[in-house]
Amino acid sequence: MKPSITTRLVVMFALGALATFVLIGTALYGVLDRELLRHQNDDLNTNLQNMRYSIERFGDLEHWARLQTKMDTLTPADGSVRFWVLSDDPRFLYGKGLDEMERVNQGEAGHGLLSLSLSGRTYRTLSMRLAAFNGRPPVRLIVGVDTASYEHTLRAFLLALTLLSLGAVVLVMVLGWWIARIGLRPLQRLSAQARALHPKTLSQRLREDRLPVELEGLTIAFNGALGRLENAYRQLEGFNADVAHELRTPLANLIGGTQVALSRPRSAGEFQETLQSNLEELERLRSIVNDMLFLARADQGEAATGLTPANVAHEVKMTIEFFEPLLDETGTTVAVEGERGAQAMMNVALFRRALSNLLQNAIEHSAAGARLVVTITRRAGVTWIAVANPGPTIAPDHLPRLFDRFYRVDTSRHDTGETHGHGLGLAIVKAVATMHGGATLARSDAGITTIAFSIAG
Amino acid sequence: MKLLIVEDELKTAEYLQKGLAEQGCAVDVAHNGIDGQHLALVHDYDVIVLDAMLPGIDGFTLLRALRAVKQTPVIMLTARDSIEDRVRGLHDGADDYLVKPFSFLELLARLQALQRRGRAQEPAQLKIANLQIDLIARKAWRGAERIDLSAKEFALLAVLARHQGEILSKTAIAELVWDMNFDSNTNVVEVAIKRLRAKVDNAFAPKLLHTIRGMGYVMEARADEEPAP
Repeated sequence: MKPSITTRLVVMFALGALATFVLIGTALYGVLDRELLRHQNDDLNTNLQNMRYSIERFGDLEHWARLQTKMDTLTPADGSVRFWVLSDDPRFLYGKGLDEMERVNQGEAGHGLLSLSLSGRTYRTLSMRLAAFNGRPPVRLIVGVDTASYEHTLRAFLLALTLLSLGAVVLVMVLGWWIARIGLRPLQRLSAQARALHPKTLSQRLREDRLPVELEGLTIAFNGALGRLENAYRQLEGFNADVAHELRTPLANLIGGTQVALSRPRSAGEFQETLQSNLEELERLRSIVNDMLFLARADQGEAATGLTPANVAHEVKMTIEFFEPLLDETGTTVAVEGERGAQAMMNVALFRRALSNLLQNAIEHSAAGARLVVTITRRAGVTWIAVANPGPTIAPDHLPRLFDRFYRVDTSRHDTGETHGHGLGLAIVKAVATMHGGATLARSDAGITTIAFSIAG
Repeated sequence: MKLLIVEDELKTAEYLQKGLAEQGCAVDVAHNGIDGQHLALVHDYDVIVLDAMLPGIDGFTLLRALRAVKQTPVIMLTARDSIEDRVRGLHDGADDYLVKPFSFLELLARLQALQRRGRAQEPAQLKIANLQIDLIARKAWRGAERIDLSAKEFALLAVLARHQGEILSKTAIAELVWDMNFDSNTNVVEVAIKRLRAKVDNAFAPKLLHTIRGMGYVMEARADEEPAP
């Protein structure tokens, strides 16, 4: 069975109530027991003092007979109070079951507990020694009170207490169930809302107002997750559209070019021309597909393999060397700054690929004769490689999205054929960084755009 | 060169057969693993081009069966650029691998590399028409005229000359000259070729450095470009 909050609460309420009642009941029982004992003792004392006064004043046998009558009168028919007088002189004996009384060796004026076999009763007793007077020898006066009624009271009290406590526990459980239901009502409202979320309406959220503080954190977290999902979903939708768009242009060129070529008789040279043009488009398609496969692998969490320790500055230098023809052509210069001695574990091919994408970007987005700066920094075990180029400042809201696939700051620049690559360059930089446990960063202000990636280790 | 192509995708097998036959190779084709294994074991091929995913017997199994008997060089074709496939293929005794979609030029280059393997040391001098290259002194002449080249320009020229008559893609050139081992989306190679051509070809005849549109570059003395009068 699934755990239920209501059940848990009811059980906890019940246990709490039970514990409370047991404590209070035990205390009450103790008080009652003590009070009853005191009451019995008072009773005993009263009877004892009363009879002692009568016995002590007279010493002759005539009075003794009257005293015996008095004790008979004072002894109730149910035998709940009894008197005994013990003496060496048999004439001055009184009471039933005296042989047993003899065995009760009580101290001077002591209390005691006594079971009498003749009636099966238990008596609480109080005794006192009385000195000899006139013709009467010293006697021992014993008063007994039957404890049965007191025990009955105690038992009745205990039974009532137990039954009342159990009843109260049941009542607490019922109330607790009701309280839990009411208390959990906001949760039910929330799950009803969550159930009502429609897969098509991604912008829908759970309402955060009118909710108790306890549920606020959960709701905010849940809404946050919904927001991220929505973003990812929108990105995916946009991504699909971008891919389709990116593939459509070369495909249209291929189909159109081939159709034109085949529409009338042509020379071999013209067909050759068409095939060459087709090949260029196909290479473009292949390059997009390969890059997307690469990105997909990075998305699936594939880490870079073949890591070797390498001098970062050396790899930067090798990559810049690759760009030398292009740099010469545009009159661009590249300066390498920062920690030239930095060593890092890297997949050299991937590192060069990422850096060459950054350099290509920087050259494309700066005017001829610009000065680019590659900065190597190392902090907290992470190596950052930043490429800065002078160029138009990119608005801050574009910066975090630069690394998205097919994202272009200037949408009008689409398909001019002037740029190389197909809008995946920075996405690949990010993928390489991710595969190396690193991150990316873009900054643009005061006419300098800096794009950086990091590798761990 | 005698080749066996084991490839179940008919169109791929067809263009590979046609292309390689035109390069002067004798090509046999098998469309499934069982036929492929039979041919590979019965005949002696110079190189076997083997698809990893095949009906009947898959490429890896075929390769292991082949390696138990002989050491014919094998180029594996895999659909996925996954590390496991690569490691598995090389572990099972493949000599090289190509990831689909691959370009025909790339396959040709790998085949030629496999064929060159174990061949005698490269000559210290290369000569194409009136272009002379001293690979040890790192100097080049066109006729009697010394051509002044930077280190990388010389490296580029040497790579092209070493592969004379072979079409080299931009990716292959970037890899061979700059050790840039990936599909780069830059026009660096185009610019480098343009600059090299300005030094090596522009003022001289015959023209040796040719652009094959959509494919790459080739260095060769062409019959129709005999020295101009």
